[in-house]
Amino acid sequence: MKTFILLGWRNLWRQKRRSLVVIVSITLGVLMMLFALGLMNGLIAQMLDNSISTKLGHIAIHKNGYFENMKLETNFLPDPRIEEVLRKDKDVVATAPRVKTFAMIRTSEASRGVIVFGVYPEKEKKASKINEYTLPDEGGTFLSDPNAMEILMSKSLAEKLDVYVGDKIVLIIQDSKNEMAGVGLTVKGFFQTPVQEYDNSVVYMGITRLQTITGLGDNISEIMVIATDKEIVDDVKTRLIKNIRNAALEVMTWKDMAPNLVSAIGLIDKMLYVYYAIFFITVVFSIANTLIMSIMERFHEIGVMKSIGTRPSQVFFIIMFEALNLGIVGLASGILFGVGLIAVLSFTGIDFSIFMDAMRQWGAGSIVYPFVYAKDILVTLLVVECTTIIAAIYPAFKAARIKPLEALHYI
Amino acid sequence: MAIISINNLVKNYDGEGLEVQALRGVDLTVERGEFTAIAGPSGSGKTTLLNLIGGLDQPTAGNLTVAGKELNNMSARELSDMRLHNIGFIFQAYNLIPVLTALENVEYILLLQGVDKAERRRRSTEILKEVGLAKEINRRPKELSGGQQQRVAVARAIVSEPELVLADEPTANLDQKTGSGLLDLMHDLNHRKNITFLFSTHDRMVMDYAERLIRLTDGSIISDERKKSSRESGERKKSGSRKSKK
Repeated sequence: MKTFILLGWRNLWRQKRRSLVVIVSITLGVLMMLFALGLMNGLIAQMLDNSISTKLGHIAIHKNGYFENMKLETNFLPDPRIEEVLRKDKDVVATAPRVKTFAMIRTSEASRGVIVFGVYPEKEKKASKINEYTLPDEGGTFLSDPNAMEILMSKSLAEKLDVYVGDKIVLIIQDSKNEMAGVGLTVKGFFQTPVQEYDNSVVYMGITRLQTITGLGDNISEIMVIATDKEIVDDVKTRLIKNIRNAALEVMTWKDMAPNLVSAIGLIDKMLYVYYAIFFITVVFSIANTLIMSIMERFHEIGVMKSIGTRPSQVFFIIMFEALNLGIVGLASGILFGVGLIAVLSFTGIDFSIFMDAMRQWGAGSIVYPFVYAKDILVTLLVVECTTIIAAIYPAFKAARIKPLEALHYI
Repeated sequence: MAIISINNLVKNYDGEGLEVQALRGVDLTVERGEFTAIAGPSGSGKTTLLNLIGGLDQPTAGNLTVAGKELNNMSARELSDMRLHNIGFIFQAYNLIPVLTALENVEYILLLQGVDKAERRRRSTEILKEVGLAKEINRRPKELSGGQQQRVAVARAIVSEPELVLADEPTANLDQKTGSGLLDLMHDLNHRKNITFLFSTHDRMVMDYAERLIRLTDGSIISDERKKSSRESGERKKSGSRKSKK
């Protein structure tokens, strides 16, 4: 076997330039494949992180039915036992109780429907990134007092409403008794998240003030939970359901709450198969062509090998090893350069500022940090090696069927 | 005991609608240990006969038995195994595998036979020493002269100690001195290891070395002449060769 591998290896380098062309094409293919995977991973991770770090959290606890139909009356009292369960769970990093309700903002220039998040500013700072997204350059700050008559809105919404920091707006809310209540609030500051849709629809104010306006008392709409990692949420969810033991509450992960996002990620993953297919077709023909040329050049030599007793199956394997060697060298250099490139870009990021609007619509930031999982490298490895093997089958089969006498006469 | 037994062997080729009779009912028996040459002009059928004996081609009619095996109804794989285990081949154009060294070329046959690595290496090195290439074992064919390459081919043909070596015009590409040395070598191996050698040739020198000379013309044997015994002939040529080396 070793000699057949050796033969395959040495035959590869008989036509250095030709083999190098194929190796470079495989290298570039693998490099581009890893880059595409890395970029998609980076985009998906940003889309997820941005949604998790603003709106969703890793896990949310609501009263049953709240997620399906977000009504103010679907609320619950966060009893100390729930807080204790959350505090004691080893994977819970932060929690943020919220009141969430629909409202309308009116100014002298315009009015707009929004979702109001009533939050404890200090807890929200720990659980979400909204504090980081607040724009101090615009003259405002993040909320500080849960009972203050203040509101925080996005810069883009402020532009639509034509308001500045320090201006007054009127917030019109339907309270828990289904009566309309209007309250004047001061614009405390502006924020800008990477998610355009979020910026256009969400405003923040102190939770105590919102509870007073809506008549909720100490009740809340949800507890947003941040876990140590977004991949372990299913385990944490199971544990929380078990420990909270309250059938009136629903515990949902980000996957439950953002099925569209999960579908989009699935779609992006499927798009990669198209890329694999393009790579597959290119490499199959490239390798098959190289091997057929190589076999034609060695027609006589293969005839000699067969005439001195090499079995057809052994000739088949020699050609297969030759192809595998081509694939392995191309793959190794492709993975080396690909992982190297992604390692650098994962620190520097790729600046997509010129597509900022489009990126914000996707819920991603303007700088994407690509990365690859070990499974991506494994999939690439399998795709390339399978491609190589498939490409080599026909030439190897042809070589195995060469008639020794015919080949011996071939010069 | 016969190593080759041929009975009424016929080989026809279809050439652009015209059937060419390459062999016209050849009968031949070769005993073990013979050093035989088949001579004849180009197109006489000597290479065709060698190819049929080597299982590289199928006869149109007739019976052919080599090393006790009936070749007529053997599959491609069986023929391949027969060539591997029973026959050594020496070609006019050496036909070594260019990407392998001299040692690896010789080892290749033993590898196909499933001989373990240490034994392969030992036997290949030994046989290369025997053919006078002890210093060239790690050279690739392109780094060797024509004579040296043919010596490697001889080593490859005999390393597994086959019962029969078929040599198709082995000296055709060599100068007289090199060719003579090579024939000395093969004669010596024939003498010492009792390997049967069957040559196709139109080289007068090969005919002189052969102890049996079969002449073929237009696909038929026209003469079959036995000369001195292998042992006597071998002794004579060996001593002649020693002189020429000096």
